[in-house]
Amino acid sequence: MKNELDYIGKSVIRKDALDKVTGEAKYTNDFQEAGTLHANLLISPYAHANIVSIDFSEVWKIPGIKAVLGDEPYPLVGEEIKDRSPIAYKRVRYHGEPVAVVVAETPIIAKRGVDAIKVSYEPLPVVNSPREAFQQDAPLLHEDMESYEKQERVYPIPNTNIANLNKIRKGNIEQGFMESDVVAEFTISFHPSDHAAMETRCAIAEIRPDGTVIFTTSSQAPFALKKLMKWYFGIEPGRVIVKTPIVGGAYGGKASIQLEVIAYLASKATGGRPVKLFNTREEDMITSPVHIGLDATVKLGATRDGMLKAAEIQYLFDGGAYSDKAVDISRAGAVDCTGPYRIDHVWCNCYCMYTNHPYASAYRGYGHSEVLFAFERTMDVLAEKLSMDPLDLRYKNAILPGDTTPTQVLLDSSRVGNLPLCIKRLKELMKWGEGQINEMDGGKIRVKGACCIWKTSTFDPDATSGVILTFNPDGSINLMSGVVEIGTGTKTVLAQILAERMKIDINMIHVKMLVDTQTVPEHWKTVGSRGTFMAGRAVLAAANDAIRQLKDRAACILRAPAEDLQVGYGKVYVADNPDFSIDIKDLAYGYTFPNGNTIGGQIIVSGNYTIPHMTYIDPETGKGDPGPEWTVGAQGMEVELDTRNYTYKILKAYSVIDIGKVLNEKAALGQVMGAMSMGIAFGGRETFVFDDYGRVLNPQLRTYRPLHYGEQPEYIIEFVETPHLAAPYGARGAGEHGLLGMPAALGNCLSSALGVQLNKLPLVPEQLWRISNEVNQ
Amino acid sequence: MIPFNFQYSKPQTIQEAVRQFYEYNRENKKAFYFSGGTELITLGRLNLVYADAVIDLKGIHEYSSIFFYENYLVIGGGATLTAIEEANVFPLLGKTASEIADRTSRNKITIGGNICGQIFYREAILPLLISDCLLGISEAGGIVYQPIHKIFNKQIHLKEGEFIFSILIDKMYVTMPFVSIKRRKQWDVGYPLVTVAAIKKENLIRMAVSGVCPFPFRSLEMEKALNEKGLPVEERVETALRSMPGPVLSDVEGSAEYRLFVLKNTMIDAIGELEGERGV
Repeated sequence: MKNELDYIGKSVIRKDALDKVTGEAKYTNDFQEAGTLHANLLISPYAHANIVSIDFSEVWKIPGIKAVLGDEPYPLVGEEIKDRSPIAYKRVRYHGEPVAVVVAETPIIAKRGVDAIKVSYEPLPVVNSPREAFQQDAPLLHEDMESYEKQERVYPIPNTNIANLNKIRKGNIEQGFMESDVVAEFTISFHPSDHAAMETRCAIAEIRPDGTVIFTTSSQAPFALKKLMKWYFGIEPGRVIVKTPIVGGAYGGKASIQLEVIAYLASKATGGRPVKLFNTREEDMITSPVHIGLDATVKLGATRDGMLKAAEIQYLFDGGAYSDKAVDISRAGAVDCTGPYRIDHVWCNCYCMYTNHPYASAYRGYGHSEVLFAFERTMDVLAEKLSMDPLDLRYKNAILPGDTTPTQVLLDSSRVGNLPLCIKRLKELMKWGEGQINEMDGGKIRVKGACCIWKTSTFDPDATSGVILTFNPDGSINLMSGVVEIGTGTKTVLAQILAERMKIDINMIHVKMLVDTQTVPEHWKTVGSRGTFMAGRAVLAAANDAIRQLKDRAACILRAPAEDLQVGYGKVYVADNPDFSIDIKDLAYGYTFPNGNTIGGQIIVSGNYTIPHMTYIDPETGKGDPGPEWTVGAQGMEVELDTRNYTYKILKAYSVIDIGKVLNEKAALGQVMGAMSMGIAFGGRETFVFDDYGRVLNPQLRTYRPLHYGEQPEYIIEFVETPHLAAPYGARGAGEHGLLGMPAALGNCLSSALGVQLNKLPLVPEQLWRISNEVNQ
Repeated sequence: MIPFNFQYSKPQTIQEAVRQFYEYNRENKKAFYFSGGTELITLGRLNLVYADAVIDLKGIHEYSSIFFYENYLVIGGGATLTAIEEANVFPLLGKTASEIADRTSRNKITIGGNICGQIFYREAILPLLISDCLLGISEAGGIVYQPIHKIFNKQIHLKEGEFIFSILIDKMYVTMPFVSIKRRKQWDVGYPLVTVAAIKKENLIRMAVSGVCPFPFRSLEMEKALNEKGLPVEERVETALRSMPGPVLSDVEGSAEYRLFVLKNTMIDAIGELEGERGV
C-alpha cells in the first residue's frame, strides 16, 4: 500500500489529459456568452508612419456597428515604461500595430467595419535593427521619452533609442585581459520571431454596473493584469476580476498585457457590454508581442591553457517599437550575461533598444537562449583559437559551488547544479571521444556540436504564490492555485506533491484548472519555470496546515495526543497502533457524534510562499541576488550535412540537465523535449523576414514554419539530480531549459562542419551557402 | 472567417454547372467554380478572393474519379491530392502531389484546384506537362479534349464558364522511369525553392520545374540542352539554365541567386538518377 501512494518521480497522467485528448477542453474563445459584442482590429501596414487622416464615416453606415475606437489619445500603457498607446494615435511604430478597433454585434460585421475604414499614412524613416537604432544619427522612435511615466529601476536614455541599459561590472576587465594570452571576439545577430502557440490570444472584457471590470483572457499573468489596471486606469485591484481558463500554449507570449486593455476600452465605449477580441493568426504573429531579437558582440580572454579570465559583452536587444517586457528581458539577459562559467572579470552593457519592429514579450528562456547563442558561439571560436576541444574548455571553466555569478552571487551546491557532471554525461552519451567530424559517402559529413546552459529566474523580489485546499465530504481535496495551466502540467505536479505529503490517492485530489482572481489565490505569473517551486512550497505549507487540523480534530475522538497521530491512506491513525483510526471523510466536514452533536466544519486551509532574500540589482555594477537557484545543463547535436548543397538533417539532439529532482518523469521529459523542439526551430528555421521598410513579409504559417511533427530528430535526454534545498523535494526549474542551448549547439555543429564561424539565425541552408561561398546578402 | 456571404449551388451534371455559371453571370454575380474550397477559405478571409456565388462541382458524376479507360489513365479534376497519392496509379504524379501542402490540406485540395488555383506553384501540373496529357474541358456543349500545351502557358487559360473536368494521360507514361524532387528553404515543410519532375522517354529526359519563376514551366530549349549526351552533366545543366523562361524569384523562401544554385544541383541530381552514374 505504501508504494502506491509515493507519487514523486512517477509519471502521473495529467489532470487535464481527458479534456484535452477528447477535444472538450475549453479555451478563452470557446466561452460564448449571449450579448457579447465582437471587436476587430485595423492594423498598420507600415512599420513607421504618421497617421495623416482616418475616416470612420463609411463604417457607421453598416448595420450592427456598436463602436469605433481610434484617433484618440488613450492613456499610455506599458509594463515598466508607459510608452505605448493601446490603439495608435497619430503615429504607428511597427507593422501590425493596432490603428483602430470596430466593435459590432458579430465578428463578421466588425471585420466589415474594419474594411470600411479609410486611413492615409505618411511613411517615416525606419529603424530596422537594434544596431541601426544604436547609431548616433538614427531616427528616434520616442522623442518624448522623458515625459513617459515609468517604474523604478528602469534606465532609459533620453534622445536615443535606448529604452533601458543594465550594466554588469564584476572584477576589473582591463586586468582580465592583461591576464589573458588569447582573445576571441565574435558578433552575432538574429531578428525577432514568433511563439506560434496553437491558441491565438483572446480577451473578453466587461464593466459591471458597479464598476467592476471582469476579464476572461488567455494570459500567463491574470494577477498582474489586476495590478496594471490600477497603474493604467486607476482601477483598484479589488475591482478587477480576471478569469483564465486553460491556455493553449503560451511560451512567454501571453505574459504581456495587450488585448485585455483594448477589450476594456471597447467595453467602455459600449456602456460596459462584454466585448471579445480574438486574434487572427496574422495578428497573433505581428500585432501581439513577439520573440525578441538580438545583436551582440562578445569578447573573451583566456590563458593559453584555456582558463577564462575576462568577458566583455555588448548586448543590443531588439525590443521593438515599445519597451513593454523587453526591459525586463534585457535585465534577465544581463543577470546571466555569460555562459555558466567561472569568470572573474566581466563587463557587460545590456541595452534594450527601440526599433520599428513588432515589440517583444517573454519567450521561453527569457533572454537566455538569445544570450547563450552569442556567448556559446564565442566559446567555440575561442576553443578553435586555443586549439582545444570545445567541451574540454567548458569543463575546465564550469561554474562550481564557491564561484560567483556575473551579479556576484556566491553559489553553493543548492543554488547551482552540477555542471561538470552534466558535461561528462553529455560526452559519454554523444560518444564525444570518437571525434567531432565523421566523413560519410556522397559528400556528406556527420558532425557533433555542443554547448552549456544555465538560467535563473529573475522574479520581482516580492513575487508570491498561494494555494487553498478545501475538503469534500468524501475526504477528497480541492486544490486551488493561481498557476495557469499553459500546457506544462504544473497543476498535475502540484497534485502529486499534495498526494505525496498527505499520503492520499492522487484521484482524491481535484485540481481547479480555471484561474479566477477573485477566488483563487495569487500566483505572481505563470512564467520562468517557477510554478512547481513556488506553488509547490505553498502546497506543502497548506498540506501541513491540513494535517495539523485533521490531527487536532482526531485527537479528541481517538483520545490520543495529536503528536502521536499520523495522516495517510485516507485516515488519521495512532502511529504505534494503527487500529485506532478514523477516516478523513468523517473528519474533514466536521465530526458528527452518534447523537448528532457535531464539532468543526469543512476544513479549509491555505499556504503561501515568497522567495526570501531576493534583491534588486545595482544600477552601476549589477551586483545583487536576483534569483533563487540556477539550473545548469549541457546540450549537443549531431547533424548530417550535405557539403555539396548545404542541406542538413539533425539526427540527434541531446540534453543533460540538472533538474534537482524529477517529480514527474514523463512530464519532465515532455517539457525538455518540447523546449528542445522549439529551440531547434528557432535555431534552424523560424524568423520574421523584414523588408527594407521594416514590414514582416511572412506573418502567416504558410511562410513562417515551426517544427512539424516528423521533422524532429531523435531526442536523448538525461537528468542529473542535485537538490535545490529550498524547493519541494529539491526540484529545479525545467520548463525552459531544453530550449536554451539548441541554437548555439546547432551553430557550433554547423560551424565545425563547414570550417566557418556562423553568426546569424536561423541557420537555413542559404545562409550556410552564402557564408561558405562569401556571397553577400 | 470569410467576411462576405455567397450563394452556393451543387449541380449534378456538367450542363447544369455551366448553365448555373452563366445564370449568375447574367445576374452580374461574380461566380466561381469550387472544388476543394481551400483557396476560398484561406484567401477569402484575407480579402484576396471574392465571390457572390460558388458552384460546387463535386456532385458531378465521375468528376472525382480515377480510372483507366482504353489507352488512358483518366483523373477527374475533382480527385483530391490524397486520393491520387493513395491510388498511386501514376507514381510520378503521386509522389509530386504528396509533397504539396500538408496532409490535412491534401485531403481537400483537388488536382483541378491545384493547377488552376491562385497560388502559383501549382506543382501537380509538372507531371502533366511532361506526359503531354489531354485536358477534358467542360463547356456548354460538353467535354472538349485539348492537349495541355494548347491550354497552358505559365497558367491554365480557360474561357469564362469553362472548367477542367478530367485529365487524360497516355498509359505509356505511367510506367516510365521518373524522378520528382522538391527542395525547400529548410527541412520537409513549406513551399518549394525548386520542384523538379522529370521522366526518361526513349532515352530523352523531359523535365518541368516549379518554384523558380512565378509560374511552373516546361522548356523544350532546356530539355534540348539537358539531352546533349556528349557533354558533362554540369555543362548540360548550365546551358539549360541560360534558357530560363522568366525572371527568377527572390522572396522569403530564398534569393534568386540561391534558387539558381539549388536548381542547378537539383537538375544534376535528377539527371543522375535517370541516367545512372554513367550518364547514359
